[in-house]
Amino acid sequence: MSEPSIFFSEVNERQGTFHRRSFLLGGFAGAGMLALGGRLAHLQILEAQRYEKLSASNQFNFRLVPPPRGLIVDRNGEVLATNRPNFRLLVVKDGVHEPGATLKTLAHFVPLDDDRQARLMREFERTPNQRPVSVMEDMTWEQFSAINIRAPEMPHVTADMGEVRVYPYGGAFAHVIGYVAKVNREDLTETGPNSESILLHPGFRIGRQGVEKAFDLDLRGRTGAKKVEVDARGREIRHDQDGDIPAQAGKTVELTLDVDIQNRALEVMGDESGAIVVMDCRSGDLLCMVSTPSFDANRFVRGLSTAEYRALADYERRPLLDKAMSGTYPPGSTFKMTTALAALSAGINPEERINCSGGWYFGGRTWRCWRHGGHGPQNMHDAIKNSCDVYFYQVALRMGPDPIARAAKALGFGQTFDIGIPGQRSGVVGSTEWKRTQVKRDPTWHPGDSVSYGIGQGYVAVNGLQLAVMTARLANGRKQLNPRLVKSVGGVEMPPGDEVPPLPFSTEHLDYVRAGMISVANDRSGTAYRQSQLGLGDVMMAGKTGTAQVRSYDGVASRSSDSVRWGLKDHNLYVAFAPIDEPRYAISVIIQHGGKGGATAAAPRAREVMRVALLKDPEIRARIERPLPMPDVSDVPPVGAAPDAPVEGPPLAADPAAPT
Amino acid sequence: MTVSALTRPGERDRLVVKFTQIDWTFVIALCLLAGTGSLMMFSVAGSSWEPWAGAHLFRFGFCLILMIALALFDVRVWFALAYPIYGLGLVLLVAVELFGDTRMGATRWLDLGFISFQPSEVMKVGIVLALARFYHGVSADKARLSWWLLIPALMIGAPVLLVAHQPDLGTAMLIALTGGAIVVLAGLSWRIIAAAALAFIVAVPPMVMFVMHDYQRKRVLTFLNPESDPSGSGYHILQSKIALGSGGFFGKGYGLGSQSQLNFLPEKHTDFIFATLAEEFGFLGCASVLAIFAAVIFMALRTAALAHSHFGRLAASGVTATFTLYVLINGAMVMGLAPVVGVPMPLLSYGGTVMQTVMIGFGLVQSVRVHRYTEVTSGKGAFV
Repeated sequence: MSEPSIFFSEVNERQGTFHRRSFLLGGFAGAGMLALGGRLAHLQILEAQRYEKLSASNQFNFRLVPPPRGLIVDRNGEVLATNRPNFRLLVVKDGVHEPGATLKTLAHFVPLDDDRQARLMREFERTPNQRPVSVMEDMTWEQFSAINIRAPEMPHVTADMGEVRVYPYGGAFAHVIGYVAKVNREDLTETGPNSESILLHPGFRIGRQGVEKAFDLDLRGRTGAKKVEVDARGREIRHDQDGDIPAQAGKTVELTLDVDIQNRALEVMGDESGAIVVMDCRSGDLLCMVSTPSFDANRFVRGLSTAEYRALADYERRPLLDKAMSGTYPPGSTFKMTTALAALSAGINPEERINCSGGWYFGGRTWRCWRHGGHGPQNMHDAIKNSCDVYFYQVALRMGPDPIARAAKALGFGQTFDIGIPGQRSGVVGSTEWKRTQVKRDPTWHPGDSVSYGIGQGYVAVNGLQLAVMTARLANGRKQLNPRLVKSVGGVEMPPGDEVPPLPFSTEHLDYVRAGMISVANDRSGTAYRQSQLGLGDVMMAGKTGTAQVRSYDGVASRSSDSVRWGLKDHNLYVAFAPIDEPRYAISVIIQHGGKGGATAAAPRAREVMRVALLKDPEIRARIERPLPMPDVSDVPPVGAAPDAPVEGPPLAADPAAPT
Repeated sequence: MTVSALTRPGERDRLVVKFTQIDWTFVIALCLLAGTGSLMMFSVAGSSWEPWAGAHLFRFGFCLILMIALALFDVRVWFALAYPIYGLGLVLLVAVELFGDTRMGATRWLDLGFISFQPSEVMKVGIVLALARFYHGVSADKARLSWWLLIPALMIGAPVLLVAHQPDLGTAMLIALTGGAIVVLAGLSWRIIAAAALAFIVAVPPMVMFVMHDYQRKRVLTFLNPESDPSGSGYHILQSKIALGSGGFFGKGYGLGSQSQLNFLPEKHTDFIFATLAEEFGFLGCASVLAIFAAVIFMALRTAALAHSHFGRLAASGVTATFTLYVLINGAMVMGLAPVVGVPMPLLSYGGTVMQTVMIGFGLVQSVRVHRYTEVTSGKGAFV
């Protein structure tokens, strides 16, 4: 390049061009700055409100607070299910911190073995960021404080106090009340109450069985919210108490059950398998509904290990089955009142005597009475009192199944009742129609079917609740009483069990059958005389025993159950009501494979439970504790005159513990 | 001390004279901007000098001294060093291509053992010096429209392609636009300007779709529709707009910006520091800061206009163009008017590289101002 020779004019021209164009550059810069200013004014003045809202929704967050679950109480307000404080350890995954390392650190303070850590890691994978995962429940105070002291070093770890469901009576109400458990993925729905996000809260529990399940929505309450300031990672910076929405506790569910009666029933059952149901004969309220063996519902709340679950599920006596509602059994001789009422309704003369010689030959075989020697000539009253099988074989055969089925239905068999909780099985009430439609293999009703039907064997199966209903209806004598389990929900009374149509039996017939039951328990020759003595003075019990066989005794030398395995032993049953003059309570007891007789295995237990029920009733108690007529005390000298005057004790029967 | 002193060659070479001729209003404006930046860093660090506010002030102080020192260098020194600096920049860019450190998917850093730096920064000053040097010796006719223009085209094209390949699209664009600004200021024909603008508009969509890297394309597409993915790549723009808008007219108050304090705002102390400012000081604070920026640009352009040498004019205005582009691009990005590119707000944002570049550039501008009457000839031996 040669030396550039720049003339002045040229220089001037360049300078002029530069000045013009630098004005343009300045103008361009100014326009740019003005554009930025205009944009700022648009955002900060015109749209400021919109962005303020967005900023606030960034800054503040509502954290859901699970409401305290409603209480479940018995008829006297005794608490059956409540909540207790629970120190729990929560860890939040925020996409930055590795939860695995956190767990390793936490393992220094709380027991977290490798197994549990692996399980928690799987849970972390399923859980989105910022949703806490419960690493440990029910920490001790020491563990809780140890974690809390170190909380500032572990910002994604929180140790807080939640609530956990607790059942103070453990197993006594397990089948009725059920239990709560963590929410499963299957519980969640797209819409409706189970779509609410509170279900995803680690402290939330859902009702799994019984009352907890059936009244879950009432017990849940209304979710609250905690207003917190959060940073971009969703970490809580500050809690704004004024912005909180308080949680509303769930409704209280009041049951008709009675803790004392229920506990006594559980006690007397011991390790037997079976059920006891007590029902009020006037209102239909259920005072006791126990199934044994039971299980501790508190363990289900905590979460059952596989081994624990297997132990419960594999046990022969099936603790998880509610035998009062879901287990159905042949009623045996407790069915004889039904057969008797059917016979009376069918016009059979109760005074007609049928001879019992210990067996009856019919249809090519001998139908045995439970008493080898026979009962001799029996009318209907005797047949109930002695539980004579031969009598009822013949009466049933004469009537056929359908009148018996009609009477059974009227007394409550073969159906389920609306008591608010699920799980009832209706059992079987045989009839020609039933057998035609239900028994594909052999649809015709044979006369032999009627014979066993008469004594509550064969095509008949009932549950404990139905037996109690039957007894209560007989004792009530007027109404087709329905059982009621839930007394009120949130203070609102549930419909009672006594607003029902009358029984389709004549009063005389019912009186006749009841008289038979009175004799069973109060005639010295009755089948359960000794076992039915309450020892409460003139408050007496009426009942009916039952022994239901679970295997054929044809060709069996001895009916004794002592030598056979548990699963082949007879069922023992007893139904009863008391007092006999104006019945208040009806009870049914089923001892599954008790292997003795209804009188031996079931009746004493019924008596014990009945005594508690009667003694808790103020009217009955007043009757038992009837004071001696005393002289008028107004003209007796002052107390000082006879300081150690002997005080007359109450009548003997007033003391429930007094031996009889 | 009067301006006339500068016209007397003996007088104007005295250091004291030079010193007084530095535009001290300009220096105060720079201090205000850097101080505001430090103030915001103090706030977002939770009222702490650590880790940014103190370092920022310290760095600015160092750069300010450097700027004043450079201002005292004779403009002919700059003139003489123009091509060497540009050449060094090119060599370093090639070196980075061959030996550079790769950080976060881009090869921008050169590690010399004792210091690591981005050669593209050298080029930001280098391109201004080299083009000013070139046009100093080119007549108006040739600068308007002639085959001579292929030389500045090559001078701009080579570093732009090298930087774009790193890839650092933001810096490449900045170098291209700065170079373009000087070419236009030097008197490029309007026909070519129009044709280039048209070519640029036509070329952008295919560039976006086929030449850009995935992350770059995503940024552009997100910019066009930021609400499409508010928690993903649209997050930055959205959160920045929320910070700005929620500041309102008066702002939320110093230290009370929830968007920046609670980390909703990304890069709150670097690229998005303007949004932090906007949130806490509102429209009032932002408009004031923009006014200071405008004043700085105006003062620098005035310096360029007053220079007697063509080299001085073009060099000072080139630096001003770079600075203006920084401010406009960062402002537009923060306000959601441009895609997210890694261009900081000069002097306000935390970060040493850009501060150095800008202050060295301003050193050149002040040198032009101090030596505005100095005759610059391209003859050999004029200086050096």
